[in-house]
Amino acid sequence: MPRENYQERLDQLREDVVAMGETVCDRLDDAIEAAVSGDDDLAQSVIESDHEVNETYLALEDECTELLALQQPVAGDLRLVAASFKIITDLERVADLATNVAAYGGPEGGVHTAVDVRDLGDGAREMVADAVAAYAARDPDACREIAARDDAFDERCREASEAVVRELLEADRARNAARDGPAPTDGEALEASLDEVSQALLAVRDLERVADHAVNVAARTLYMIENDDELIY
Amino acid sequence: MSNTTTDDSLITTEVQADSNDDRAAPAAGTAVAARDLNVFYGDEQAIDDVTMEIPEKRVTALIGPSGCGKSTFLRCINRMNDMIEICRVEGDVEFGGKNVYGPNVDPVALRRKIGMVFQKPNPFPKSIRDNVAYGLKIQGYDGDVDARVEESLKGAALWDEVKDQLDSSGLELSGGQQQRLCIARAIAPDPEVILMDEPTSALDPVAASKIEDLIDDLAEEYTVIIVTHNMQQAARISDRTAVFLTGGELVEYDDTAKIFEDPEEQRVEDYITGKFG
Repeated sequence: MPRENYQERLDQLREDVVAMGETVCDRLDDAIEAAVSGDDDLAQSVIESDHEVNETYLALEDECTELLALQQPVAGDLRLVAASFKIITDLERVADLATNVAAYGGPEGGVHTAVDVRDLGDGAREMVADAVAAYAARDPDACREIAARDDAFDERCREASEAVVRELLEADRARNAARDGPAPTDGEALEASLDEVSQALLAVRDLERVADHAVNVAARTLYMIENDDELIY
Repeated sequence: MSNTTTDDSLITTEVQADSNDDRAAPAAGTAVAARDLNVFYGDEQAIDDVTMEIPEKRVTALIGPSGCGKSTFLRCINRMNDMIEICRVEGDVEFGGKNVYGPNVDPVALRRKIGMVFQKPNPFPKSIRDNVAYGLKIQGYDGDVDARVEESLKGAALWDEVKDQLDSSGLELSGGQQQRLCIARAIAPDPEVILMDEPTSALDPVAASKIEDLIDDLAEEYTVIIVTHNMQQAARISDRTAVFLTGGELVEYDDTAKIFEDPEEQRVEDYITGKFG
């Protein structure tokens, strides 16, 4: 086959993007575990290893730029490079969000119990993993299925946020009722409670964004396979 | 330079409607149309049943591997293949609503309306002025020749470089300037179509890019049909691209962006991505 070196570079790019996706999923697993368990060491390892994903992102960005400049890919090859260029940005953002999620557990324990971080996190992580698998397997049906899953996931996130707010309101109501009783809640405890609630809400928001990035990966993959931008907009 | 609609008297010695043509006429805005075109060199088929319509005032690129028939197709349009004894053409090439292979067509007059620029610049061993004026003199042009020479050189983006040396030999110019001189010579008789057969393959990148810019400008006035081996050039400068593959088969013909982003045919994808050819 002519242009063997070029074809090998395209194959390598594809493999490297998949490997980056798998690394990001591992980081997400660790972040979810840290958020649920409050394991601060694990959270720190997720945060400190983020630079590795950033370096992979920059290396792949360079490779895409060089392929465009020197090899001038067209047709399916062009779509592979263009889609990969966008996909690595989404994966890098997922890794950033994983560092946020890991940090929400904090040294005092896991994220507020009103949010099932494990359940939501696994859902978002599965969407990312499936999107990367769809890219690797060039599976257009899987791309559409991942995008279709997003609405249900958004709904789960909305319900989780509502549950947190409901708990906050109920706690407030309980405090008001207690004013007639023995002792009101002190300011420090209220501050801690607000902090816990806001972190829970941020965790939900970030996991919802992880799922959005998974949909982006699926959308760019569908463009790569079929030159179809139906999921992009 | 104003462009006029096809003047039948320039093409045919006696204008007659095609009596045996019950097929559809070219669509509005079509400059050239091939209908069931087959070309043979002796027993060897060079063009295989090609039907396509080429839009006016656009750049259409013909690409494909060596020997695929793209240059043969180009030369059919202004009957340059007539000069090859063993060449046989079947089917029609319509220009101005008439078959250029019809019985009353004057090939010389046809070539004034469909000019040609070749791979290697081929100025005559004459002055720059005479090179451009040559076609005008042949056709007995009775207007202001100097004005037309200036207009043509401006149209070929060469005037500013040669206006003070019009009496110098065209052969003294650089390769890129010589090619633009040939383009000026081609547009002087006020053609409607300009055929270009790999017009930049003998030029350095800077000279080639000037020709590419010029082609873009020419398409405002003329229909440009270009054969090129340089696929990036086809992608850069053309509106439509026709892909010929071995055996003279027109495999795909579409908007250039479609061909280079998402071709329908796997064989076209394999060719333009360099997997064969």
